[in-house]
Amino acid sequence: MEHLAYDIRSGDFGGAGAASRDLKQHLKRIGAESGAVRRAMIAAYEAEMNVVIHTAGGRLEATVSDGQLDVDVIDRGPGIPDVPQAMREGFSTASSEARALGFGAGMGLPNIERNSDRLRVTSAVGDGTRVSFSIMLRPEAADQGARPSSLGIVAGLCRDCRHCLVACPTAAVRVREARPSVLHHLCIDCTCCTAACDPGALTLLDAPDGLAPGADAVLAVPPALLAGFGDHAIDTVLEELRGLGFAEVVSVHPYEDELRRGVLDLAATATMPTPVISPVCPAVVSLIEVKFPSLVPHLAPLASPWEALQRDLGGRDVTYVVSCPSQRTALLAQQPTAQRRTVTPRLVRDAVLPRLAARRRLAHGTPAPQPQAAGAGDLLVVSGVSHVLAVLEQIEDGRLTDVAGVEPFICDDGCFGSPLLGEDACVAAWRWAAAAGAAAGEGRSYERARPYRPRPGIRLDPDMAVAIHKLAALDAETKGLPGKDCGVCGAPTCAALAEDIVMGRAARALCPYVSPEEGSAS
Amino acid sequence: MKLEDIARELGLTELTPEVTGNAEAEIERGYASDLLSDVLAHAPEGGVLITLQVHLNVIAVASHAELAAVIFAGDRRPDDDVRAKAVAEAVSLFVSPADTFDIVGRLYALGVKGNHA
Repeated sequence: MEHLAYDIRSGDFGGAGAASRDLKQHLKRIGAESGAVRRAMIAAYEAEMNVVIHTAGGRLEATVSDGQLDVDVIDRGPGIPDVPQAMREGFSTASSEARALGFGAGMGLPNIERNSDRLRVTSAVGDGTRVSFSIMLRPEAADQGARPSSLGIVAGLCRDCRHCLVACPTAAVRVREARPSVLHHLCIDCTCCTAACDPGALTLLDAPDGLAPGADAVLAVPPALLAGFGDHAIDTVLEELRGLGFAEVVSVHPYEDELRRGVLDLAATATMPTPVISPVCPAVVSLIEVKFPSLVPHLAPLASPWEALQRDLGGRDVTYVVSCPSQRTALLAQQPTAQRRTVTPRLVRDAVLPRLAARRRLAHGTPAPQPQAAGAGDLLVVSGVSHVLAVLEQIEDGRLTDVAGVEPFICDDGCFGSPLLGEDACVAAWRWAAAAGAAAGEGRSYERARPYRPRPGIRLDPDMAVAIHKLAALDAETKGLPGKDCGVCGAPTCAALAEDIVMGRAARALCPYVSPEEGSAS
Repeated sequence: MKLEDIARELGLTELTPEVTGNAEAEIERGYASDLLSDVLAHAPEGGVLITLQVHLNVIAVASHAELAAVIFAGDRRPDDDVRAKAVAEAVSLFVSPADTFDIVGRLYALGVKGNHA
């Protein structure tokens, strides 16, 4: 059960609406169905206005319990002499000031009655009025599915520096007893914590089989890997990768080009809301599913480059060199057996570097940079988590209407910027652009196999009644914490610790600012 | 009909160019009233409101009723704080020199109907 209370001041026309707006946010957080939220808003707003217009001030108190919202609005008078008369539409005693503002039409109480499932008005002249109404809440249908994260944790390497806590865009990381852990329902498989983790405790792990060459084996690589071996030419790198024992080495870049074309086509046909968002980066797709569910209709219903490549290589023995956890998660979702076949760029580098070093390096001049094979055209290319968050917020607010399509990457400088690659992003991207065409290949674009699904990471419990209890407890816990967001407890913010306490993941005593007696009470 | 097309056809002056998300919105329904409780009770979600009221509570009501836009009739213009609130709540505001009756008539001719048509 959750209890909310707001003061309402007499004659405060400007501030009116604050209580009903806050109530709306709470109802959304517990996952109440949108029609009920709207009715609750209207009824609460009318009740709020009644206090502003007619009374000496009062309070709005709301209780959210199992499947039901109960609102009590109590004022300090003057009271209603004839309640049945006040309930009739059109009857009003409002001041001329209120009428001038468009209130006092005698519709307030009838409006509350129409939008609530139960209404009771009691009044005593000289004393005050109590308006109590209830609205039944039903949960909004939503998918709760959380996927396992591909982030690898090597607890022994953790230095307890906690840089990862602040780096995570979804507050999914915790560090307790010098062991990092990740909340799977919030993790979007990006590389932010990995980039922040100097000792490498948060990383991407290799499949136990490692590299698995074979007569018919294929090695699938990102372009950033091919351009990441100093001044070794890309065709040399390809040759030495094949030399590891692979029949074929394929790069994912033609699939990136095809996806870009597909997104531009969709943006041009006006069949979906614009800007159309490219699913090129699975981490951004997850970010949208977790934090921006309203933008899911903007996502182009196409497979990511790695997913498209995987489909084309179906049935063959493929080792995937993925540059980030999100690519791995996407591959596994499409083909679970791929987990034995995903390796890190580091593993491949370690294998191929001695071979490259053994070659007599041919002196060659500086390659002249050339334009990229497939330009981004009208797409807005956004890279880096802070820029991606800013742009997604702009789209959500409807402020990015001059852009037809967006190509967002969670890593700085796109996939070349993954911290799991060995070469600097700018250098590798420059080399790749300069040598465009050295790694030929054909790509294709596919319809997406699985639909996008909002992941309500902020929802506290699939059962709305339980979510209500937890929300109340969460508010109480948050108030009891200092609000310093110091990270000593191992959670990134006080709000995150409060959620951990409510969800049974942590104890209040972890907070260094809470006295021992208080801490043991949890 | 798209909101931006309505604005063009009726020669409306846009007061909130910062709110761009509604321009493409299809406006199928409208409501005309100066009584805010009436608006709250009957205005259609995603619709347009034509009113003479230009104070802050109009924005609160438009936001509560989830309206896409408000057209102020009779060349009545809101204060800056009202405009700022509308931008924050993503409600588009327009002003027209025409009176309510004429605005509604022209909207109706463009295919924007009331609740019961």
